[in-house]
Amino acid sequence: MAHQAHAYHMVDPSPWPLTGAVAALLMTSGLATWFHQHSTTLMTLGTILLLLTMYQWWRDIVREGTFQGHHTPPVQKGLRYGMILFITSEVFFFLGFFWAFYHASLAPTPELGGCWPPTGITTLDPFEVPLLNTAVLLASGVTVTWAHHSIMEGQRKEAIQSLTLTILLGFYFTFLQGMEYYEAPFTIADGVYGATFFVATGFHGLHVIIGSSFLAVCLLRQINHHFTSQHHFGFEAAAWYWHFVDVVWLFLYVSIYWWGS
Amino acid sequence: MFRAAVRLSFSGVRSLTRTQPGCQALLASRCYSHGKQETEEEFDARWVTYFNKSDIDAWELRKGMNTLIGYDLVPEPKIVEAALRACRRLNDLASAIRILEAVKDKAGPHKDIYPYLLQELKPTLEELGIPTPEELGIDKV
Repeated sequence: MAHQAHAYHMVDPSPWPLTGAVAALLMTSGLATWFHQHSTTLMTLGTILLLLTMYQWWRDIVREGTFQGHHTPPVQKGLRYGMILFITSEVFFFLGFFWAFYHASLAPTPELGGCWPPTGITTLDPFEVPLLNTAVLLASGVTVTWAHHSIMEGQRKEAIQSLTLTILLGFYFTFLQGMEYYEAPFTIADGVYGATFFVATGFHGLHVIIGSSFLAVCLLRQINHHFTSQHHFGFEAAAWYWHFVDVVWLFLYVSIYWWGS
Repeated sequence: MFRAAVRLSFSGVRSLTRTQPGCQALLASRCYSHGKQETEEEFDARWVTYFNKSDIDAWELRKGMNTLIGYDLVPEPKIVEAALRACRRLNDLASAIRILEAVKDKAGPHKDIYPYLLQELKPTLEELGIPTPEELGIDKV
């Protein structure tokens, strides 16, 4: 039987990168087809393929790490670097939308009345639901840290409870934001105010949903005894991502909701 | 001078009825506990220089005006003149007229400040061909 003389993980051949690429192609061309030929078939196909790819690829990583022991310390280090670099790229993604917001709001054009908020825009009161949302996310940051400590201390039940609470808080945020979106007196089409507001908060909301999903997967894995008190990087990655989502919200709240009102 | 006229602050009792343009009031309008205090002349010079930048761009013009209007004062005529000339260089008549509306609003209840400002700016307004909101009839809602 052949053994490797190093601690790294030479991954087995996998079809998921290819299916992921095909999904990306189908989704993008599907988007164009939807716009021009009014058919959503291609795009829907692409989305299904993407979901299948994500499920199977990440399932394989869990198998390789948790069940087959491939995630040695150097491999885990590489995964940590990877997650950090990914989150950094997301920071830059949001930076662009903040740039757009500040470009528009620090120097409002005559079309807006030369003022910010623009003439005719009724902003949301930052001390109502947005403040509650801030409290919800900050609280979820506390509960996810509680979950981490529970895992590290081998407290299985507390880990499950605190992780569940974190996810519920995430859902609560999403629900509240959904209500705000529905009730808002302005839309994405309402000039640069509406555009910057909904694109920035919208992408943030998407990241909350992604983060909640990531945490939900961790909850399932914790219930199924995948994590040990020493080795639970999947959870740590989810927690980092969750904190990132929280920090983005804080910037959104202070910049758009509070200063921008 | 105009900042003293509009300031109702904890820094002391100030006269609210200064209407003499010739007053030299060296009253600091920022109440920091430390650091060098800028004189009114330095403040005015800084803003005139800002708007006099020959290649000022539209964003900088709008940003400057928003920052200036955020202060608790009515800008001196020389600052407003520099801003209006910047509007001329940028072909932005809309902003020029908006600036007049904004400084009128900054004067608040002190109804004598705006006519004084227009009086001082009259040659510039005529030279640059900028109508006032009153002349356009857009000062009434």
